[in-house]
Amino acid sequence: MAQSEALPADGHTLSAPAPVRRAPAQPQRTGVAHLLTNTAPGRLVLAVSVPVLLLILWQLAGRGTGSLFGGVLPTPDRVWAAWQTWAFGQAGLGLNPYSGTWLSNVLYSAQRVGQGFALATLIGVPFGILIGWNRLAAGTFDPLIQVLRPIPITAWLPFSIAVFGIESMGAVFLIALGAFYPIVINTTAGTRGVEKNWIRAALMMGARPSDILLRVILPASLPSVFTGLRIGLGIGWTAVIVAEMVAVKSGLGYVLWDAYYIGRMDVVIADMASIGLLGYLSDRLILALEHWLLGWRRLQSFQN
Amino acid sequence: MSLIAFNGVSKTFSGKTAVRALADVDLTIQEGEFVALLGPSGCGKSTLLNLLAGFEPLSDGDLTFDGQTVARPGPDRGVVFQEASLFPWLTVWDNITFGPRVQRQSKADYEGRAREMLRLVGLEAFKDALPAQLSGGMRQRVGIARALVMNPRALLMDEPFGALDAQTRLTMQQLLLDVWQTLGIAVLFVTHDIDEAVLLADRICVMSARPGRITREIPVELPRPRSIDSLITPEFMAYKGMIMTDMKVAHGAH
Repeated sequence: MAQSEALPADGHTLSAPAPVRRAPAQPQRTGVAHLLTNTAPGRLVLAVSVPVLLLILWQLAGRGTGSLFGGVLPTPDRVWAAWQTWAFGQAGLGLNPYSGTWLSNVLYSAQRVGQGFALATLIGVPFGILIGWNRLAAGTFDPLIQVLRPIPITAWLPFSIAVFGIESMGAVFLIALGAFYPIVINTTAGTRGVEKNWIRAALMMGARPSDILLRVILPASLPSVFTGLRIGLGIGWTAVIVAEMVAVKSGLGYVLWDAYYIGRMDVVIADMASIGLLGYLSDRLILALEHWLLGWRRLQSFQN
Repeated sequence: MSLIAFNGVSKTFSGKTAVRALADVDLTIQEGEFVALLGPSGCGKSTLLNLLAGFEPLSDGDLTFDGQTVARPGPDRGVVFQEASLFPWLTVWDNITFGPRVQRQSKADYEGRAREMLRLVGLEAFKDALPAQLSGGMRQRVGIARALVMNPRALLMDEPFGALDAQTRLTMQQLLLDVWQTLGIAVLFVTHDIDEAVLLADRICVMSARPGRITREIPVELPRPRSIDSLITPEFMAYKGMIMTDMKVAHGAH
């Protein structure tokens, strides 16, 4: 029970003369629900319970033929077998064109997302701060962004192919474009939300404009920036799959569409699961970075 | 020469309907003097402070600090904000040393002074805490130390204890009295609390609203050094009674 009352703030001990926040009803908090929500293994059990249940139902529903819906949806054991061949099979042998190509395709897609996302961040964050801070920049660029934003990245596909050809660069362009909007918009909102008195306090202490920008506005808008980064990264994964299905001849999106054409639904499902896994892992990465950079923010919401 | 001089200062906020926040204000404050601006909310007392801080331009008149026209904020006028307005991503120490650091002072120059200010406001043990870990009163102590570390000629305080509970407010008033008696710098203290004004100030400027103007200046001749024990002396009560009558008259006139 110790972890549930471990207050991070030593300030609490001094500021509150009355011992208020101590809950008197400790004994009753030992039920199953408490274990499931308040211990690490319990939370893991809770998190995997529904997926595992669905997998079992799926497997049971397809027993006999090994698939559901008349052969369209292979059962989990077949998908797993297909994924193993895809990941660890010998390349270039036999009738299976995917054998042993999983890692290289994952790397292709991940690299494109990484490049496009990095580009979107490098342009989107400074641009968002500029628009949020400077009225001239806001008046100039905000309308343009608002008009371009409703055009879905799928609508940019023909343009991208025409300009970049069937090349990796086309995918990177689409990813960067898709991720740019949420990053720039959230950064702008974060910058506009900076408290006026923080700026005044900094000016009063003799800060120069560059100090205000780097030491006040940037850290103050970082929570919003991270919201934009997480949404942008999600869109980046959508964009890479769309681009690879149409405009590039490698990566998870390419395999997805190709496998569908030759009727390898087991590979299609394994591919989908791979995309999900990569998207999840990359989001965790951003979250870990946010956790590390915005410790002060967690303390604040803890108190509120 | 006075340290601070308002000469016929007016401030009008433009907009759909222009608001005349201050009209023809004359006010001088001497080196080391403690002046309280007392008035109801919306009377323009915070605007007056913001003009002196250099946060907003005047509409008319002139305003000098140490003989120079006030044009922009600067470390010679330390401001203490109503809600402390600390940077929540910086520790207490980093908040206090923000001023010296952006002024590119060397660590050797400011470290001793910052430590001294931290001690003066009684927060040595909380050097590495984040603002979110502090109570409202402690945050305001950091706000005071952050302003004092710059060695300002004047401290401008905008209802700094208004958001605190009664108990903490008394503690903070005592702390401010001690700090001021130690450092002896000029203080412009904005408040709507009569007790607070009488307890702290050498002189009280009573303001009225729409347009904001100083209607009366009352010198407070209670003996120094004062403490929160002064709050119950007959002399204190006499001042309080006089100001209350005064403010009622001013209020009734509208």
